[in-house]
Amino acid sequence: MITINHLSHEFVVGKKGKQTFIPILKDISFEVEKGEIVTIVGRSGSGKSTLLNLVSGFIRPKEGEIWINGEKVSQMNESKFADFRIKNLGFIFQSFQLIPSMTAFQNVELPLILKGISEAARKKQTEEMLAKVGLLDYQDHYPGELSGGQQQRVSIARALIVNPPIILADEPTGSLDSETEEDLLKFIKELNTDLGITFLIITHDEKVAAIGHRTIELKDGRIKEGVLI
Amino acid sequence: MKLKDQFRFVRQNMKKNRTRVYMTILATAMGCAFLIVLASVGFGLQKSVVKEITERRIMTQIDVYGQETSENGGYRQLDGKDVQIFEEMSDVKAVTRRIMLQQEGKYSIGDYHQSAQTVVANFPSEISAGFELSEGSLAKDKTEVVVGYNFPLNLAVQGEQTEEMFDDKGQLKEEFRYNGKLIGETIHLTVRKLEEGKQIEKVFEVKVAGISKKPTKEWAEDRSVYISEELLKDIEEFTGTPKGIVLDSAEQVKPADLEASKNTFDDVKIYAENMEAVQGIVDSLKEKDYATYSVVNELKEVNLMFAIAKAGLIFIGTIAILIASIGIYNTMTMAVTERAPDIGIMKAIGANPRIIKKIFLLESSYIGLIGALIGTIVSYGISYAVNIVIPLIIKQAFGEETPPELIFSDIPLSLPIICIVICYGVTILSGLRPAQRATKVDVLRAMRREV
Repeated sequence: MITINHLSHEFVVGKKGKQTFIPILKDISFEVEKGEIVTIVGRSGSGKSTLLNLVSGFIRPKEGEIWINGEKVSQMNESKFADFRIKNLGFIFQSFQLIPSMTAFQNVELPLILKGISEAARKKQTEEMLAKVGLLDYQDHYPGELSGGQQQRVSIARALIVNPPIILADEPTGSLDSETEEDLLKFIKELNTDLGITFLIITHDEKVAAIGHRTIELKDGRIKEGVLI
Repeated sequence: MKLKDQFRFVRQNMKKNRTRVYMTILATAMGCAFLIVLASVGFGLQKSVVKEITERRIMTQIDVYGQETSENGGYRQLDGKDVQIFEEMSDVKAVTRRIMLQQEGKYSIGDYHQSAQTVVANFPSEISAGFELSEGSLAKDKTEVVVGYNFPLNLAVQGEQTEEMFDDKGQLKEEFRYNGKLIGETIHLTVRKLEEGKQIEKVFEVKVAGISKKPTKEWAEDRSVYISEELLKDIEEFTGTPKGIVLDSAEQVKPADLEASKNTFDDVKIYAENMEAVQGIVDSLKEKDYATYSVVNELKEVNLMFAIAKAGLIFIGTIAILIASIGIYNTMTMAVTERAPDIGIMKAIGANPRIIKKIFLLESSYIGLIGALIGTIVSYGISYAVNIVIPLIIKQAFGEETPPELIFSDIPLSLPIICIVICYGVTILSGLRPAQRATKVDVLRAMRREV
């Protein structure tokens, strides 16, 4: 489902002529099978967020290839990747990334609008999805009027609304209390089991890492030997 | 993303900073109103001038004055051969030719007298050109004449004429003018000649057979008397000169000149089938060295002059819209900066950069179009007020009355369309750079609220 081949990336720091190149990822290669939950762990600065951003297409790799669902996304232009992203990828962010001026309903509805779905179909699908995450009664609430857990559920509903085969999650429980965290992990497990959604999760939380079928540990930009299960 | 949803997005975004958007729309509306009102002065004055020209002339009429002669660069009078040439030209409906009696004809009916222009007209061509009678019939022989509709206006009893006999327009009051019937009445035409310094008069008795139709133009008057060619010949026989010219002494005029004016026409007019054909006829007449005048020619020159003036006014007005576009650019740039986190999120979940660009362009053009529409409505109001107020100001300040038909400001439909197109173009241009900036918003920096 996701194939990473010899992926390397570096950040450029400083002005032109005095630039410094900081290597972040060095020759990373691994695969994620369909229906798998793969968690990526590692210390701060190990390159796990950069890896997820590369898979998401938010940044472009310096070297190596990324294949998702049989398509080489590492060479796609921005416009093509945008179209690919809305069909294949769902995102869960640590800080939820909801649009504050939109209600819970509007935030969840947004990907359907971008896909060009009709208003009537959107309403039905959005209400069903909000019901699924237990927030139908909160559909007219703005993100600022919801708790952290509720916001994360809105974020998940937004990720799931277009039925993506893959969900990329960056520290999904990072802003949640332990009780909400457990609920969320249970929900992710259910989605994986019931809908067969593939998850690639970045975390430094052992509890989150534990839900993965496999865990990859990054250290200094490389996959730590012996931990790829 | 559907267009309807894009509009919904635009409206939602505009609501987020109403004051700023309203002020930008206001600036655009002011720019548009300025452009339209400024250019409307050009349109208004053009309309007045064109109206003035066209009201006094028939659009399909071409006056032919003569033909340039190769010998001395002068012009010779037109004769029957010229008329034949004109009649054979394509798109010519009629060629009227008139001979004028070269002295003032004195007419009397009973005790009433007046002087009038005496004309020999070719009635078949006059009728083709639109000449009609209001009463009676055309003259059958030399004893019959047709009089102009306004012929009786100055038919007054001979004697001293006092001021009270005339109205404000300088016309004889009804009670002092001839009010009897004309058709079938006998009128006397007195012509004169000079013989050895002595004036000799001869009276010709004619009967009124018909009266011409009232001229369509309100200001026009027809006081002429249309006599037959045979009667003119009798007059010529009496005066011994062509067209009844009165000669003070035989030496003053060369016999050759007198000979030249024989069988020539004093007034030749060509009537084209339609307005479009006028230019072609004029061009081919020019090729044959005929001197002509047509309203279409005059209009062409006037319209060219006004087109240049209007283009200049529109250019000046566009500067106002360009200034307003700076406001749109500023508003859109601030909107992109403020909404960068939202743009980042939208891009992260799969919004195509094309859609983001389109939404921002739509927003800037929305502002531009609303501004242009408000500006157009306001400019119609200003234009209306200008046409009422300016004559009053001129009257108050300079004590002068402006002609009632003078239009200071006129907004034809093309003007708001031009303005809206200019405004739309300018707003698209001013929104282009901010829209492009929006597509380049870095997702990660936007989501970290770093932009």
